[in-house]
Amino acid sequence: MKRLIERIQDLFKDIKVEELMNRNVITITPDKSLLHAKELMRLKRISGIPVVVDNGKLVGIVSIEDIIKALENGYIKDKIEKRMTKDPVVLKLGETLEKIVDKFEKYGFGRFPVVDEDFNLVGIVTKHDILRALLEKLATIHLHDMRKKEILESEVLPDIADRSLLTGEHLNKTKADFIFKIDYNDITLIGVGAAKLKKFLLDRGIPQDIVRRISIATYEAEANVVLHSESDGYIYCFLKDGSIVVRVEDFGKGIENIEIAMKEGYSTAPDEIRDLGFGAGMGLPNMKRFSDKMMIISEKGKGTIVEMNFFLKEESGK
Amino acid sequence: MKLGRIVEELKLKVITGSLDVEIKRGCCGDLLSEIMRSCEKDSIWVTIQSHVNIVAVAVVVGIRAIVLCNGHEYSEDTLKKADEEGITLLASDLTPFEVSGRIYMMLKES
Repeated sequence: MKRLIERIQDLFKDIKVEELMNRNVITITPDKSLLHAKELMRLKRISGIPVVVDNGKLVGIVSIEDIIKALENGYIKDKIEKRMTKDPVVLKLGETLEKIVDKFEKYGFGRFPVVDEDFNLVGIVTKHDILRALLEKLATIHLHDMRKKEILESEVLPDIADRSLLTGEHLNKTKADFIFKIDYNDITLIGVGAAKLKKFLLDRGIPQDIVRRISIATYEAEANVVLHSESDGYIYCFLKDGSIVVRVEDFGKGIENIEIAMKEGYSTAPDEIRDLGFGAGMGLPNMKRFSDKMMIISEKGKGTIVEMNFFLKEESGK
Repeated sequence: MKLGRIVEELKLKVITGSLDVEIKRGCCGDLLSEIMRSCEKDSIWVTIQSHVNIVAVAVVVGIRAIVLCNGHEYSEDTLKKADEEGITLLASDLTPFEVSGRIYMMLKES
């Protein structure tokens, strides 16, 4: 690990501890028992816990080695203050990656608490945190690299295009059980695809309640393509054992922030569309509500794929 | 309750479709997504939306009849589509509030 870091040190050596530490530290107070600490480690799957007093000051650390020793020597019920490692080696805010790596090498500990100038605990750094921070930094550097773009366009996207977003299995869209092309030029055609899908599914003997959920969710997806994408789109439906998959794709302008778009009441629809009763900000929430599973992938300028899964089991009815 | 009884009681104009339809519930609203979210099947839908998309909403939800209020008129597209899909279109000069209230009382008492 050290050699690897040396090689890219020029790029990374000024990363500060603030950038890579984990701020959500699990802590324990010195009046608790080592047994308590052991349980906390087991439940949270961690190998060391900083010990803090009420005002947040760091007073020690309990590591898994301390617990092993306590079990061997039969004092696991002792209070932490009696057995913890006092004056632990810490990292201070402002310290850089170079120094942090040195400390990991020098002491061989798995983790270091991070403190401010008053010795208050503000975070923790494990080897895992360092690795994660480095990978994140690498990713942002790569984004400016044209090779990344090639990979995105040539390998990843075609893969998404032919695979289920929900299960990863191969979806041959040319062999979908139902295909409908959405014409975005005519707002009056919204719902035609959903209505056709409804008839198709009823003809296939799919239970009415499930068909109803599928057609409502599909109507919403179809409306979004016509109202927002500024491109044509397709509705694909696959009849599987135990479930029905509906996938609605367009090649249009994409969704900038899916999290916001998922909120009820949020809509970018203009007034003339709202006058027709669209743009209530309920489209995506309704798709989520009426499907059993839903996945959405979108990128600004690259279109949107919505995939919904409807289970045929009776208890899935909403 | 048969749709014909509601039409008679409220003196609704019959634009197209059958009155020999069983109505079990009702809903009122102009936001299509809200209707899809909350309206149940075998309903009568009270609204002021008249454009053709309401027919597709009715189809996917399982709405049997639409009452267009406040004297609005359906577009030609809407009539044609409703004929194709077997959705009954009705109209009234009354407000959605009054139409809904009266249909509600009828369904409740039946």
